[in-house]
Amino acid sequence: MPILTKRHFLAGATGSILLPRATQAADLAPHEQALYDAAKKEGELTWYSGQLQAETGEAVGKAFTARYPGIKVNVVRSTSQVAYQRLSQDMQAGVALCDMFSSTDYGHYNLLKREGKLLPYRPKNADGMIPAARDPDPDHMFQVFYIGLYLLAYNTKLVAEADAPKSWKDLLDPRWKGKLAVGHPGYSGAIGVMGVVLSKLYGWSYFDALEKNKPQIGRSADDPVTLMNAGERAVGMGVSLAAPLLSQSRGNPLKIVYPTDGTLAVYSPSAIPKNAPHPNVAKLFMEFAAGPGYAEATRPFFIMPLRPEASPPDGARPFAEVKTIQATPAEIEDGVPDIKEKWRDTFGV
Amino acid sequence: MRRLRNLDPASLVWIALVAVLLLLVAFPMAKLLLVSLHTRSGAFTFGNYLAAYGRARYVDSLVNSLLLASETAAISTVFAVPMAWAVSRTDIPGKAAIWATVLGAFILPPYLGAIGWILLAGPNSGVINQVWRFATGATDPLVNVYTFHGLACVMAFQSFPLIFIFVKSALDLVSSEMEDAANILGANTWVATWKVTLPLVWPSIVGGAIVVFLESVALFGTPAIIGIPARINTATTQLWQFFEYPVRVEVAAAYAMPLLLIALVAIGAQRLMLHRRGFVSQTGKGGERRPIVLGHWRWLAIGYCGFVAAVAVAMPALVLAEASFARAWGRGLSPSNLTLANYRFLLFEHETALATIWNTIWFSAASASFAVVLALLVAYIVARKLVRFAGALAFLATAPFVIPGIVMAIGFYASFAAPPFSLYGTAAIVVLAFTARFLPIAYANAAAAMGTLHPEMEEAGRILGLSRLGTIRRITIPLLKRSLLGGWLIVFIVATRELSAAIFLVGPKTRTMAVLLYDLSEAGNFEVLAALGGILLLVTMALVGIGMKLLGRDFMLRRA
Repeated sequence: MPILTKRHFLAGATGSILLPRATQAADLAPHEQALYDAAKKEGELTWYSGQLQAETGEAVGKAFTARYPGIKVNVVRSTSQVAYQRLSQDMQAGVALCDMFSSTDYGHYNLLKREGKLLPYRPKNADGMIPAARDPDPDHMFQVFYIGLYLLAYNTKLVAEADAPKSWKDLLDPRWKGKLAVGHPGYSGAIGVMGVVLSKLYGWSYFDALEKNKPQIGRSADDPVTLMNAGERAVGMGVSLAAPLLSQSRGNPLKIVYPTDGTLAVYSPSAIPKNAPHPNVAKLFMEFAAGPGYAEATRPFFIMPLRPEASPPDGARPFAEVKTIQATPAEIEDGVPDIKEKWRDTFGV
Repeated sequence: MRRLRNLDPASLVWIALVAVLLLLVAFPMAKLLLVSLHTRSGAFTFGNYLAAYGRARYVDSLVNSLLLASETAAISTVFAVPMAWAVSRTDIPGKAAIWATVLGAFILPPYLGAIGWILLAGPNSGVINQVWRFATGATDPLVNVYTFHGLACVMAFQSFPLIFIFVKSALDLVSSEMEDAANILGANTWVATWKVTLPLVWPSIVGGAIVVFLESVALFGTPAIIGIPARINTATTQLWQFFEYPVRVEVAAAYAMPLLLIALVAIGAQRLMLHRRGFVSQTGKGGERRPIVLGHWRWLAIGYCGFVAAVAVAMPALVLAEASFARAWGRGLSPSNLTLANYRFLLFEHETALATIWNTIWFSAASASFAVVLALLVAYIVARKLVRFAGALAFLATAPFVIPGIVMAIGFYASFAAPPFSLYGTAAIVVLAFTARFLPIAYANAAAAMGTLHPEMEEAGRILGLSRLGTIRRITIPLLKRSLLGGWLIVFIVATRELSAAIFLVGPKTRTMAVLLYDLSEAGNFEVLAALGGILLLVTMALVGIGMKLLGRDFMLRRA
C-alpha cells in the first residue's frame, strides 16, 4: 500500500484534468456490460461492511440497483471487527454467505490474502481513481474504495469554538474529564488503527492519561456522534469525518476539528471472498465502487470521494490540505490485536 | 420379531421423541463439552480452560455476571411480589392496568428497554436528570444508567414479570381459610400475610428468582449496550470476545462450562431450600377466596404498582416513541425536531429491515409450533405413563431451562454449523435453537394442562373404538386447545425478543429484528433503533391482541 502523501493527492488532482470522465449512468462500458450480463443471473450481493454507516450503505445499495437493475444489495452493516468475526465464523463453518467484505482494518486483508481466501479482481474503473487508491495490492486481492478520515468533533452548545480541543494531545487536559466519548478497538477497526497510530506518536502512556479523563466508551467510532447530539458528552474522539458532518447538516450542533497533530487516515480495503456465492455481482460492485457512481451516491453522506474529478463534501477539506497520520499495513496487522488487549487492560472493557 | 411387530405406535412416537430431544438438547451440550476438551486439531487438552480462565479479567467478567444477576433477581423480587400479592389477594382497583404493565414489560425486548433507559437516565442528557437539574439547580445527576446498579435496575425492569407470573399463580391457589385460621389465632392481616400467605408461595418466589437469575446471567444485549460504556464486562460480553478473530469456539465452550454448572447449582439449591417442607395449599375441597380489603392502604399499593409501571414500561416506551419520531433525540420535543424519516428509512429505504421483521415472525411462529407439539407429546406420554422411563423425556424437555441462551447458541454453532449438518446461516438452525431454548416453557404449560385432564374422557374414546393417536387428535387436543394456544403465544413472544440465542447463528439472510437492532445499536443511532423497536412492538402487540381476544387477558397464567 502506498502511504498517503500530499503528492499522491496532488497527482490525483492534476490527473483529473487529463483523464476523461468515466462512464455515464445507463450507458455501460463493454467491460461493465459483460459483467452485468453475468451478474444478472446471480441477482444479489451480500455486503459485510464496517466502513459506511447503515444509511450510507443502503444508499450505495440503492444506487447500485438503479444503475444495474435487477440486482439487489443486502447490506450487513456492523462494526469492522464484528463484520470480520461474522466472516470468520462463516469460514470456520465452511459456509459461503458473503460476497463483499469491507472493513477498516488493513490487517484483515493481509491475513485473508495469506490464507488464500480472496478472489483476485482489479476493477478497470480503478484507473480513474486517485493514485493513492488505485493499486493497493500488487496481486489485486483487494481494493480501496474508502479512505476514512478520523478526527475530533464537539458539541457547539457545550463547548465554545475558542475552547475546543485542537489536537489529540489536547484531550488529555483535565478540563475534559467526563466530557469525552470514543469507540472501542474490539469493535471498530478505525479505533484500533487510532490506537496503533497514537501509541506510535505518544506511546501507550497517552491512553493511560486519557483514562484519567474517563471517556465514555462505545463500540463504533461513530458512537460519540449520538452522544454529542444528545449533549451526553461534549467532545468526540476518533469519529469519522462523515458522521458529524451528516449530523450537522441535519441540524445538530456539531463541529469537526482537524487535529493539529494530524488527522487519522485509515485505508479501508474491500475484497471478494474466494467462495463468494455471487462473484460476478461482486466484481461488478467493485467496478461501481471504483467508478463515479459510488462517489456520487456517497457524497450526500459526506464521504470523501476517491475520484479526482469529484470535489470533497461540503464542510470538508480536500485530501491535499489535510495533514494526515497513519500506520503501515504491517503496523496495523501486528498492532491492532495488541491494542485491543492493552485497551481492555487500561479501560476495563 | 413378534415383539417388534407388536410395538405400540406410542413406543414409536416415544423413540422418535427421544431422538429429537437428544439431537436438540443433549447433542449440542455434549458437543460443547467435547469441544472444550480438545484442541482445534482434535487432541485432548485442558488448555482451553486455562485460556478461558487464565486472565484475571476473564474471571472478573464471570464474577460480575453473578453479582449482577443476583442483584437483578433481588430487585425483580421486590418489584414483583407485592404486585402479585396485591392483584391476587386484595381489592386493589385497576387490576387490568397492572396486568397491562406486566404484559408490557414482558413484551418489551430487553435491549430496547435498555436504550429507553439510556435516554432517560444518561447522566448528562437523560430526561430524568435534566428535569432534576432544572427543578433543583443541582449539578450532579440524580440517576446514572451507566453504573453497576443502574444496569441491574434496567435488567430487573425487564425480568420482574417472570416472578410476578410465578407468584401470582401460586397465590391464586391459596385459599382465604389459611389466613382466616391465622386471624382466629390472633394474627392481623399483615402478620397473616407475612407469616402464612407468603411462606406458602415461597417455592414460586424462589423459583421465579432463580429463573430471573439464570436469564440475567445469560443476557447479552443489555450488558453490551449499557455495560460497555459503564466499563462493566460480563460473562456474555466475554464470550462474545472469544468469537472475535480468531474465532475460538473451544475457549468459548470452556468458558461456558462453569455457567452450566452454576445453573445446575442454582437449581440444586432451590431443591435443597424447599426440601421436605410441605407447601400443599391445594386440596380436593375448594377453598373460598376473599380479597383483602385494603382501605386507605390501597393508595400505597396503587402508588407502588404505578411506580413499577412507570419505570418498567411507561417511561421507556414514551421516550423511545419520542426518539423514533425525532431527528435528534437530544433536542427534545419540538415541531422542528419531528420527523417520519426513521420509519421511512426502515420501511422503504432499508433493503433488509422488512425481511428481518418477516424472519422474526416466522422463526418465532415456527419455533413456538415445534415447541408446543413436542411439549404436548412429551407431556401426554408422561402424564399417561405410556412407556417406562417417561421421566427421562420430561428431564430432556426441561433441561434447556438451565442452559443459558448464549451457551446453547454456542453449542448449536459447534454442533450444527459445520458439515455434516451445514446449517449455519440457514433459518433451520435458528428455529431449532429457539425450539430447544423455549421447550421448557412449552413443556411446563403442556404438563400443567395435561394435569387437569382426567383420563376417563380419553378412555371413553378408546372404548368407543378410537386409536391412541385418534384419541389425542379428537379428544385431548380439542380439550387443551386454549391452554396450548396460550403456551404457543408465550413462546412466540419470548422468541421475538430473543437475542442471545440468535447472535451466533444468524447469517445475512436470517437476521432477526433483535440482531438488526443490535447491529444498529453499534453505531449508536438511537432514533432509527427506536423506530425499529416501535415496529417490532406493534407487530408483537397485534399478535398478542389477537391472542387475548381468543384466550382472555390472563392467557399467561391459564392452567387449563
